[in-house]
Amino acid sequence: MAFKNWLRLLIPALLAIGLYSACNKAGLNDVEIAERSAEYAFPLFSTTIGLQELMLTVLNDTLSGDTIVVNPDNTMTLYYSGDVAEKPATDIFEFFKFPDAPIPVADTFFRFPFNVPDSVYIHRADVLAGTLNVIINNKLSQPITGTFYIPQMSKNGQVFSHPFSVAAGQLSISPPLDLSGHLLLSDSNTLDFRYEAYTPDGVRVVLPESSPGIPGMGLLLNGFTLSYVEGYWGYSEYPLTLDTIDIDINQTDLKGDVRVKDPKVIMTVSNSWGFPTRGVVKYLSFIGQDGLEYKLESSVFFGDSIDFNYPSLAAGEVGQTKYTDIVLDGSNSNIADIFNAQPVQLVYEVAGISNATKDPTIEGFLTDKSTIALRMRVELVLEGSVQDFGAEQTLNLNFGDYTDLDTAKIEEVEFKLVTENGTPIATALQLYFLDETGNALDSLFVGAPQFIMEAPPIDANGIAIGSKRTETFVQMDIARFDRVRQSKSILMRNFFTTAEGGLVPVKLLATQSTTVKMGLKVKMRLGGE
Amino acid sequence: MKLHHILPVFLFLFHLQTAHAQQELLLHQQNGLWHASALNPAFFPSGKRVALGGPSYGLDAAHSGDVTYNDLLRKQGDRTFLDVGNAIGKLEPNNDVFYDQRFETVSLGLRLGAWYLQAGHAVRVNTAINYPKALAELFWYGNGPYVGQTLEIGFAVNTASWNELHLGIGRRFGDKLTLGARAKFLSGIGAMQTDDSRRQIRALTDSDIYQLSLATDYAFHSSSIVSGIDTAGLTYDLALNEIKNKFADNTGVAFDFGLQLQVSERLSVSASVLDLGGSISWKKNARYFHSQGTFEYNGIGIPGTDILNGTTDSLDFGAALDSLNDVLQFQQTDSEFTTTLPTRIYVGGSWKLTERWVLGAVLHHFNSPRRTATSVGVNAHWSPLKWLTVGGMYSVNDRSAANIGLSIVARPGPLQLFILSDNVLNAVTPYGSAAVNFRFGGALVF
Repeated sequence: MAFKNWLRLLIPALLAIGLYSACNKAGLNDVEIAERSAEYAFPLFSTTIGLQELMLTVLNDTLSGDTIVVNPDNTMTLYYSGDVAEKPATDIFEFFKFPDAPIPVADTFFRFPFNVPDSVYIHRADVLAGTLNVIINNKLSQPITGTFYIPQMSKNGQVFSHPFSVAAGQLSISPPLDLSGHLLLSDSNTLDFRYEAYTPDGVRVVLPESSPGIPGMGLLLNGFTLSYVEGYWGYSEYPLTLDTIDIDINQTDLKGDVRVKDPKVIMTVSNSWGFPTRGVVKYLSFIGQDGLEYKLESSVFFGDSIDFNYPSLAAGEVGQTKYTDIVLDGSNSNIADIFNAQPVQLVYEVAGISNATKDPTIEGFLTDKSTIALRMRVELVLEGSVQDFGAEQTLNLNFGDYTDLDTAKIEEVEFKLVTENGTPIATALQLYFLDETGNALDSLFVGAPQFIMEAPPIDANGIAIGSKRTETFVQMDIARFDRVRQSKSILMRNFFTTAEGGLVPVKLLATQSTTVKMGLKVKMRLGGE
Repeated sequence: MKLHHILPVFLFLFHLQTAHAQQELLLHQQNGLWHASALNPAFFPSGKRVALGGPSYGLDAAHSGDVTYNDLLRKQGDRTFLDVGNAIGKLEPNNDVFYDQRFETVSLGLRLGAWYLQAGHAVRVNTAINYPKALAELFWYGNGPYVGQTLEIGFAVNTASWNELHLGIGRRFGDKLTLGARAKFLSGIGAMQTDDSRRQIRALTDSDIYQLSLATDYAFHSSSIVSGIDTAGLTYDLALNEIKNKFADNTGVAFDFGLQLQVSERLSVSASVLDLGGSISWKKNARYFHSQGTFEYNGIGIPGTDILNGTTDSLDFGAALDSLNDVLQFQQTDSEFTTTLPTRIYVGGSWKLTERWVLGAVLHHFNSPRRTATSVGVNAHWSPLKWLTVGGMYSVNDRSAANIGLSIVARPGPLQLFILSDNVLNAVTPYGSAAVNFRFGGALVF
């Protein structure tokens, strides 16, 4: 009976204890997350760069005279141009420069030798503009009347003449007489002035000197310009241009081996001077990356000269412009060899020589618009090969929340770099992570740059076939990642090599592009704090 | 990344617990217990006039497969850690969690001649969750191991908790038949119910450079449980249980019916249907959360021309990550909804073998919008002492064909104390079991 009474208490007590223990573990309010290893993967960035954009930017960033032309077959031609050296004829040749003071007419017939360049004989000149004042100082005691003539100058068939009448002891200055439209003819580079003066009784007189040594007649010409000059040009040398062209495609501190297929230097002369002119290349050299001078030599030149095309008077080509393109390429010069040295500058000086052959029979002409212009340019069809050609760029960097991440929790970091390359250029890359002061904290790859972008195969024309995807994984331990995520900028240094190891020329097309993108995996310890 | 801020979501899933439908086979066979009347309104302790039910707690919970409480939670000193890694290996591609909790606070029964009256209050929770293994994997291991795989991580939740006030009446007809009925007034506490037509959350981490894409057409109703979703500041915080529903805000009714037939002196049979027509209309604090769209994050897109022109000279990952957080934005609108209570049916019988031995059999059927289950069991009760009954049961249910139940009922004087489980092995090691079933409580009967 005592046992039964004891059980009456024990069993309910055991029930209560069991219930308590069953309930004790049911609450989850204070549960914590156990420590675990988790891995998160997410994209960082992606960008696509088209070759045409790239080349345009390269040009815009540097030289204003550079242009890129997309050819019909989508190949691109890069032009580096020098300034256009344009020489109006008036810069070289100065005709009929009359003195500012009146020209004294010492006699009733006076031959005035007008100013022309050496070896030039003017046979005809058309007056564009200008005025003439006839000055008469009548020292006689009676009035005079008469006419002034310029027999070589006429207009519409009428010889230039100016009647005058001057009272005794008076000074007379005619109003400005318009000379525009008059035609001057001469075969001796002289101009004849003649006058006839009569007293009231019909006696022809010579105007006496107004003072000792000063004739009684003078001519003042103002604004005298010509629209056309015709004559004989003899041998004469004059400067045309001295200029330099920067070739920035090769301007990098990085070393590389660039081989441009069929580089060209093109000298284009536009000439509306109507007489033979010979260009004399006084200096034509490239300056290499090494600072050395590489003289461009070509069989195109006769010695160092080449004759420019010109409009012929005999052929009735007055007013026309003739062009001369002198192309220096691998077939006629050593330019290909020079470009292997990655020149950074072309320096040139060109002079002109008229009638270099000294042909006495050549009649030439100039108009008031005659110019000779010379443009030198370097033409690079973007077809060639490069090996380890370098370029670099710096980008600011902000890792955001990753900067403050507790790296003690990070186990491993892996960058995934993906390139999808439609260009025939492979790229080796090295990224340098820089601090605020530009000091390198670390690099993406340990040691040398790695090929992160391979080139797709090329066809027989050197054109890339399709696109080549390259994946590169870069693992970082915590110490390295810790440094990297503190970086403020990255220096991206690329080394380009064209397809097939840079041994075969390839074509760069405007439609080709490259996509570069990167993702990140972070394996970290979570929970258990 | 602070991805651990999705912890509330995950905890929510598991806080709703490892569970399944409240079968309570053994309690049904203990028709002399006052608390058995909760399973059949026709039950009333034999020979008693007054019953005062004290607190009683019942839990029937299960996780599909073999995932146990201990797989998820482990003690380390005085700290408890959620360690999903242990459980993930045991998960099926799709997993179910069921949880039925019944907490009867107080109840009263009176026998007035042939009539019985009863009243009481209970707090109940009913939960069914279906979630993909991928969700647990993504939460626990991150997206890194699943690059290139499309993960379907949408999960379905039907959960509701409510107060239940009931009034019941029964009548004995002659010496053999007793009929009972009970009406329940339901007062919703909180609910969350995913929209079955919008259950898609598809996550893909592209194998290219790990571009993230999330396709969603996911929606759920909620009252009180989730009142807001905050995606600011790289977090993903749920506002949980911040709004409390008042007693009369969200209401419903349900009905129980039962009978007990004393076929002979030794044989009795019983049947009941519970929570018939039960539903709660959620009208207050009822919101509909909907996320629809395809969200992609491809990293910082830098136009090539910007790089070349130097107009974009900075890679700002911080700003990009801020925008990443907004990919799963939910639009919320006020929207009423209805949750239905699972209907349960019991059919049982007992054969009084001797004064000390009773044999029995019981069938239980459970039907809810997300789950239908049937279990059957045979039992034997032995009363070695007048005030002590020990019972055993073998039952088969949809989870297992080898469930051994055990009940202990003590009746010292007017006091009734009981603890029972349809699966005693799980009950004594609940944290090492994928299913837990137990009920305990006490009452005074006179």
